[in-house]
Amino acid sequence: MMGVLDHVWLGVAAVFTQAPVATVFGLPISIVVVMVVLGFLGGIVVGATPGLGGPFAMAISLPILITIFGFNPDALLPVLGFLIGIMKGATVGGAVPAILFNTPGTPDSLMTTLDGFPMTRKGEAGKALRIAHFSSASGDTFSDLVLFTCAPFLAITVEAYLDFPEKAALIVLSLAFVSAVVGDSVWKGVLAALFGMFVAFIGTGEDHHPRLSLGTDALAGGLPLIGVVLGVLILGEVFAALEDMWREKRATDAIAAPTATGDNRLRLRDIQRIMPFVGMSAGIGTMVGALPGIGSTLAATLGYATGRRLHKGDVRFGDGAPEGVAATEAANSAVSGANLIPVLSLGIPGNVAAVFIILATETISGFNPGPAVFRLTPDQINSEMVIAFGLFTAMVFANLLNWTVGGVFMRSMGIMVRIPKQRLLPIVLLLTLTAIYAQRPEMLSIYVTLFFGLVGYLMRKLRFSVLPFVIAFILANNLEETVRQAFSATGADPWFLFSSPISIAFMSLAVVVVIFFARGRGGQENGGTQQDE
Amino acid sequence: MRIDPRSLGIAAAIAAFALLTLGIWIPADVESGVVETFRRRTVIGDALAPTAVAIGMAGAAALLVVSEFLNPRGSGATLDRHSLAFVARFAAVIAVGLASMTHTGPLVVDAINALGGAIGTYRELRDTVPYKYLGYLLGGTVLVGGAIAVVEQRLTRGGALAGIAAAAALTVLYDLPFDDLLLPPNGDQ
Repeated sequence: MMGVLDHVWLGVAAVFTQAPVATVFGLPISIVVVMVVLGFLGGIVVGATPGLGGPFAMAISLPILITIFGFNPDALLPVLGFLIGIMKGATVGGAVPAILFNTPGTPDSLMTTLDGFPMTRKGEAGKALRIAHFSSASGDTFSDLVLFTCAPFLAITVEAYLDFPEKAALIVLSLAFVSAVVGDSVWKGVLAALFGMFVAFIGTGEDHHPRLSLGTDALAGGLPLIGVVLGVLILGEVFAALEDMWREKRATDAIAAPTATGDNRLRLRDIQRIMPFVGMSAGIGTMVGALPGIGSTLAATLGYATGRRLHKGDVRFGDGAPEGVAATEAANSAVSGANLIPVLSLGIPGNVAAVFIILATETISGFNPGPAVFRLTPDQINSEMVIAFGLFTAMVFANLLNWTVGGVFMRSMGIMVRIPKQRLLPIVLLLTLTAIYAQRPEMLSIYVTLFFGLVGYLMRKLRFSVLPFVIAFILANNLEETVRQAFSATGADPWFLFSSPISIAFMSLAVVVVIFFARGRGGQENGGTQQDE
Repeated sequence: MRIDPRSLGIAAAIAAFALLTLGIWIPADVESGVVETFRRRTVIGDALAPTAVAIGMAGAAALLVVSEFLNPRGSGATLDRHSLAFVARFAAVIAVGLASMTHTGPLVVDAINALGGAIGTYRELRDTVPYKYLGYLLGGTVLVGGAIAVVEQRLTRGGALAGIAAAAALTVLYDLPFDDLLLPPNGDQ
């Protein structure tokens, strides 16, 4: 019988032997290894560029990757390896502008500026970057280890105990959770999720006539997944950011390079000093990351706040304490691995990076993230489990890259902050539209993407979170299919969602989550963290 | 704090959309009902999912209003007449950019043919240098350079050069390494 270890070995072998593209010292270098390296280095560059981030790079590269590698299962590991590389590289790179120039490239690196930039002003930029890198790599590695151990067990449990009604209820619970926790209004989150589902239902269904298609060919085939997601997530953000700059009429000043005059080495005593903070924040980030919808910004905030309580050193948090940088970076980096726990075990994406992993697997055949991935069948190889362990191997390899060359490469990326954002974002717009067209060569796909870019822009302007929209859009048809199967399996019982204690618990929890956050937000001021995307 | 009328406006618009969907769109544009019984077998029809979602939208819009009455926090919306001015300018740039992208190649080919060149149709030439690049290069330059000009509120040489460089770089990135990739608008021609 093929056991788990056989699948692990096949996954490792797939990463290091698939389609060698070069030979180094007699060793063949596989395409997957090359793609992880390229993704990781590209991710650091993108993360170090203010205004960009991992999701931008993943969004732009996904259509190109699919065009290059095609839709067959052989494309999975190179494409996923590249995306994983970007995800990890961008997390590390995000600290660079925050520390050197007090410019948080992403919301989760905002807390890094609090102590990172004061360290730079004290002439300790090099040390701050080294601490950020060490803490980030530690948090990321810890989180990955939790993913590797938890995801298979969670998936096996789900597969063993959940039938169609329970799975449908679980998707409802996940959507309710994402809607409730992201953004500053629960009801706006719920509306965004419902709107995402509605859009997903256009042009789909089981009838001969594609529903809600208004009799048009353009809608009859359903709206293109990548076009809608990239429009709302990327173009919406580009439009909103360009408008902010248009309003501010901000002149782009030359930024002086910081000087390094203090102690810039990372010594053993520094590591001993920051390790409790790294450990604490890695745990916080991992727990936060495992929950759908709560992302790295909250993890960074919690990690920093916890670290400040723990701290008893001479330099206070906020005045350039290395522990502050460590607490923040370990927490936000620990989110990335744990975020894949709901993806791989349940098929439910919890944040934007996970959305692109799901998009890749939806587009390329041969891997459907969910409980069935870790199912063992006697005398048969489960190719999906091999891919999953290949993905884990790619993550371990990316971590090794991070520990070895990541720090050096990251510290050389300070120059990226000089690129003016108002010139970069229009290029991102053209790049996104070109990538969309490359994957589906018709102008209609560009028009759809632009339309949903406008939708994403309006949602941001009206303070609706886009993450519930995107996640609901991706999960809607899966939910409908599960509901249809549950309805049939229970003999057309209209109360099928309440047919077992587990599904009743999930549905009750969904209601409780929404009510809890709706009441909890009641007294809060508006204008908190818009979204953690 | 008093209730923000924009919150009420947003909720009213969503509720109106939901009711129109329930009353007109779904009945007119979905073949099967909410539940269908065929040969004693009852199955879920295509109308159930959008109906449930539309009811949910109407309900959530009502709850948004109720929550605003209980805790008037303001909509937080930043959509105002300045946003509309920006959108109008930006939409004009995109429209001109995409029109240039779509029509430049065919227009140039038609012009050459009209002048007696007899080079064939654009469709026949859409994979031939330089015709296949014309629309993308001009449209891409207009799109990027125009967007930069909108944001910087003046047309600068740097912005125009950024547009040209971006369009040229993306042409090289997409077209040279991949034989089977088509730049816009060549897949439609």
